[in-house]
Amino acid sequence: MAPIKDRFTIHSKAVVCQDVDLRGEITIGSGTVVHPKATIFAITGPIVIGANCIIEEAVIIINRKKEVMRIGDENLFEIGCRVECPSIGDFNTISTRARVHYTLRLTSYCVIGAGCLVVLPEEEVLEEHTVIYGPASERRVWSGRGHIQELDLRRKHSEYLRETLPKFNRLRRGDGA
Amino acid sequence: MNFAQPVYYPKADYIETDTGNKVSRRATIAGPQNIILGGKTIISSTAIIRGDLRRTGPGHAVVISLGKYCLISEGCILRPPYKTYRGNFNYYPMKIGDHVHIGANTVVEAAMIGNYVEIGKNCIIGKFTMIKDCAKIADNTVIPPNTVVPALVLFSGSPGQFVENLPESTQELFESQTKQYYNRFQPLEG
Repeated sequence: MAPIKDRFTIHSKAVVCQDVDLRGEITIGSGTVVHPKATIFAITGPIVIGANCIIEEAVIIINRKKEVMRIGDENLFEIGCRVECPSIGDFNTISTRARVHYTLRLTSYCVIGAGCLVVLPEEEVLEEHTVIYGPASERRVWSGRGHIQELDLRRKHSEYLRETLPKFNRLRRGDGA
Repeated sequence: MNFAQPVYYPKADYIETDTGNKVSRRATIAGPQNIILGGKTIISSTAIIRGDLRRTGPGHAVVISLGKYCLISEGCILRPPYKTYRGNFNYYPMKIGDHVHIGANTVVEAAMIGNYVEIGKNCIIGKFTMIKDCAKIADNTVIPPNTVVPALVLFSGSPGQFVENLPESTQELFESQTKQYYNRFQPLEG
């Protein structure tokens, strides 16, 4: 395998802590917050992360495919989750220590519950508002209630983090800066 | 006092404070000025403690306070819980009592953990959980947000549920267990 070339494009308004493990070709959009100890691995293809995402500590995002892994806007990756989805839409929540395999693609407004393991034998696209929950990774459809409140919380959360994290952590800049 | 084997650690890997706290050099501690350790507390390597996520507002804010004889095992993540209250987003402090053992790779976002609490390995303790004194959480338990775990019970499963009551002697037993563990945790020179 050819050696991985590192190229990071980090938007000037993104907050990426120094203690983050980045590998390969990675683009991080405006307002996205990456906590310390997160790992983003673009092994074969590049990873593009949209705006206002929150990536918490010990999160692992891996792209094992050749094509670009696209992550949309305002997604929340909670502590210690592992994501290999080739595409993720907007406003998704992947909860604490959930693991999602590369066979699943997320659209928008999906929730993967805490500690869920999602490994599918065939490729699948998860429909909007799907919730995967519980130890057996069961599924349900979210009615969309509390959607505005949830969004509001997420906006305030990322706004807070953008303000507070730089006070206590060293930040990382992109190659261009 | 006891015949259990000591647990040795290389001396250079840990920092020992005057009050007997042993903190691994390989633990990630963000915002240490906002963290209080009660003394004789052990923080193992690869643990992550987030003291930087503080409550906004003037003055000094304590984010995480740990009592004495606590153990934070390898790969544990302690981070304070957050919510919006009256339209303002904030992180809220996390208080952990004395004689609390937290197992390896557990994620804790609790608001309060009492004294003599034992939490197993690979648990997920949701936001704003209250764990009362002498409770025990089994390995691999997932406690959903805002749960209250009463005193002297064993919780287990996903979602974490009541399994059984614990005997009243739990406090004495667990106190001697945590003290023993601290005494067994000895440096190895060289």
